[in-house]
Amino acid sequence: MDFRPTEAQRLLASAARDVLTRHCPIETPPDGTPTGPDAGALWAILAELGWPGLLVPGDLGGSDGTLLDVMVLCEEMGRFGLVSPYVQSAVVATRLLLTAGSAAQRRVVADMAMGRRICALAIREDSGALAPAAMALSGRPGQTLRGTKLFVSDAERAHDLVVAARAPSGTTVFHVDRHRAGITLAPMASMGGERLFEVTFDDVAVTASDVVGAEGAGWDALEAALGLGVLAACAEMVGAAQRILDLAVLYARTRVQSGRPIGAFQAVQHACADLARGVESARPLVLHAAWKAQQGVPAQADIAMAASYAGDACLAVARRAHQIFGAISYCDEHPLHRFHKRIVAARLAFGDPTAHHEAIARAIGLA
Amino acid sequence: MDFGFSAEETAFREEVRAFLQRHPPETFPRDGMDAGYGSGAVSREFLRALGAQGWLTMTWPRRFGGHERPMMLKLVLLEELALAGAPFGPFGGADQTADVIIRDGTPRLQTDVLPRVGRGEVTFWQGFSEPGAGSDLLSLTTEATRDGDHYVLRGHKIWSSHAGIADYGLVLARTSREARRSRGLTMLVVANGSPGMDIRPIRSLTGEVYHYEVFLEDVRVPADMRLGREGEGFTALLAGLDTDRFWGRFYKAPALLRIVRLLVEYANATVRNGAPLSRDAGVRRGLASLAAEIEALRLFFYRLGWMIQQGEALKHESALAKVMADELGQKVAAFAMDLLGPFAPLTESSRWSPLRGLVQHAYLTSLGHTIAGGTSEILRTTAATRGLGLPSER
Repeated sequence: MDFRPTEAQRLLASAARDVLTRHCPIETPPDGTPTGPDAGALWAILAELGWPGLLVPGDLGGSDGTLLDVMVLCEEMGRFGLVSPYVQSAVVATRLLLTAGSAAQRRVVADMAMGRRICALAIREDSGALAPAAMALSGRPGQTLRGTKLFVSDAERAHDLVVAARAPSGTTVFHVDRHRAGITLAPMASMGGERLFEVTFDDVAVTASDVVGAEGAGWDALEAALGLGVLAACAEMVGAAQRILDLAVLYARTRVQSGRPIGAFQAVQHACADLARGVESARPLVLHAAWKAQQGVPAQADIAMAASYAGDACLAVARRAHQIFGAISYCDEHPLHRFHKRIVAARLAFGDPTAHHEAIARAIGLA
Repeated sequence: MDFGFSAEETAFREEVRAFLQRHPPETFPRDGMDAGYGSGAVSREFLRALGAQGWLTMTWPRRFGGHERPMMLKLVLLEELALAGAPFGPFGGADQTADVIIRDGTPRLQTDVLPRVGRGEVTFWQGFSEPGAGSDLLSLTTEATRDGDHYVLRGHKIWSSHAGIADYGLVLARTSREARRSRGLTMLVVANGSPGMDIRPIRSLTGEVYHYEVFLEDVRVPADMRLGREGEGFTALLAGLDTDRFWGRFYKAPALLRIVRLLVEYANATVRNGAPLSRDAGVRRGLASLAAEIEALRLFFYRLGWMIQQGEALKHESALAKVMADELGQKVAAFAMDLLGPFAPLTESSRWSPLRGLVQHAYLTSLGHTIAGGTSEILRTTAATRGLGLPSER
């Protein structure tokens, strides 16, 4: 066993921290999209650094990195509360197209690796579940897609969409240009500032070349790619929780009440200790699950456990921290709520807490 | 980062499993209560069997009869023993004491006591707490005065686990009065049966005896049975506490996993209100969530073990890990009580008792875990001040 990051991972983390310190100051909501104050400038910077190509092979312009590299990077993104299409596009969609995509679709990955194209995921529908049975949107190659997808984040700026459609038996996954005729967007306002959209497919023509993998047999590759998204989102949560811990400890050391720093009171000390426990116990679990997935051995149960525990632990860190900061953390200008909301969003982004529990229940042998 | 086990570790795991097949844990006589930490009951015969395998000395230096094998193997051994519910209760105490004797022991301790530890022939009790010195350990009043080549011990120790069935006590006593209370304390190795020593059992809330109180009336201890330097007993104790907490709780995660596995079997086999318990949504969710938390605990401890192996100092991590282990243990036990419903409180001797009374026993013993070895309150304060750098309350 070796819990040490590699030299390359240490460099990646420290470079990420430098860049994000400069571009995601704690005073302003970090934003990497054209609808935000930075108008996409930040995404261009991330692309310049080669981050979207981390999981892409060298012959497609990527850097042949590993999932653990992505985990290290995503923890830093979480530490700065970055809201960006990174995980859905550079991790989930990229992995899906690399493992199941056609030659033409793999060429799109080369553009994604350079940050020139962004791909959004259009999977969930009105039940909210990430499961084949929950796919009602219909359509076959040579015909048209009809239906509505929900929670499609950054759909407005995405160039392409991955769409899961119900097939006579199974699920067909399509990769389509977001501007294709018949696709319309409507924003879904959400507390966290993630730009979520309802995407309606009104007789959108699709052909065989739009299918990812085989017709009716797209779910397995999609599910595997979503698993990587769950892990990357876990790393973001751990990073956000670590930042909350750091901020809370700093505050407890410096905020004076009744003539002493509040961190000298046991009630506050114990709360801070619980924050540290949450962060320190979540991180090894999450990294271990990613390592297992990286080995190519079955890791669904490990991923579900990581998501279940890290999700609960990091959320508890955020909630408890409000009590340490007191009234000031109720203010919009205080950063805590942004990190809190990042954790809420990351916990739901690529996974389904109920499904995680069910996956674990089956893995431990419950009939 | 690489979370895999080496070929040597994997082969050793198989070796331990094969040993447990040949020596089923339930066939060993039990000498003392299972305190629920995960190391099972005290079975001196089982400890000797581990000694015969060479597993008590495998990480020791060669000059003390050891095999200098990697520490990670000890983690593998403890994990497998706990998963099997083996009765290796005194292992931790013996192992940690051996480490101190190897590092700091007198020639007498190294030549007389240590080899018997290696064979699994001796066990130890800790004489730290006193009736007036619990969380405030430094207020202890037991005294050791020098008389020629002996110390003379007077005092009253309490909460000493398995003292009545052990061979030696590790007694912390004051050898001089100094301004700083942490100075002037000395650790002595005191043989059971020494004249003037009176060991009395304290019946626990399970109905069995686990703790003892020990009265020391002018007990003469040879000076070369001192462990570490005179006056530095507390400093040495503190220095070891971080790793002691680690070793004392490393087997908690596999022990809790064993309980969850038994609960899964129980839920699969039990029909309640006309349906298998395993189909109940609350049962599925509860067990799944506990299993995830246990896996987090397991990896948290492996990370600390890796840090120890790397020679990195533990600061607050082991305090937090102990808090997590003990609170999770209580959570698992409380959930299990609910799962078993009206059958939960039945003890082993009832033919209606599910899982041979294991759950009620785990429930009751777990109540002591957040108190023993540093209360969760003391440990959270330690983590906050020493680990996170928050100011001390005083």
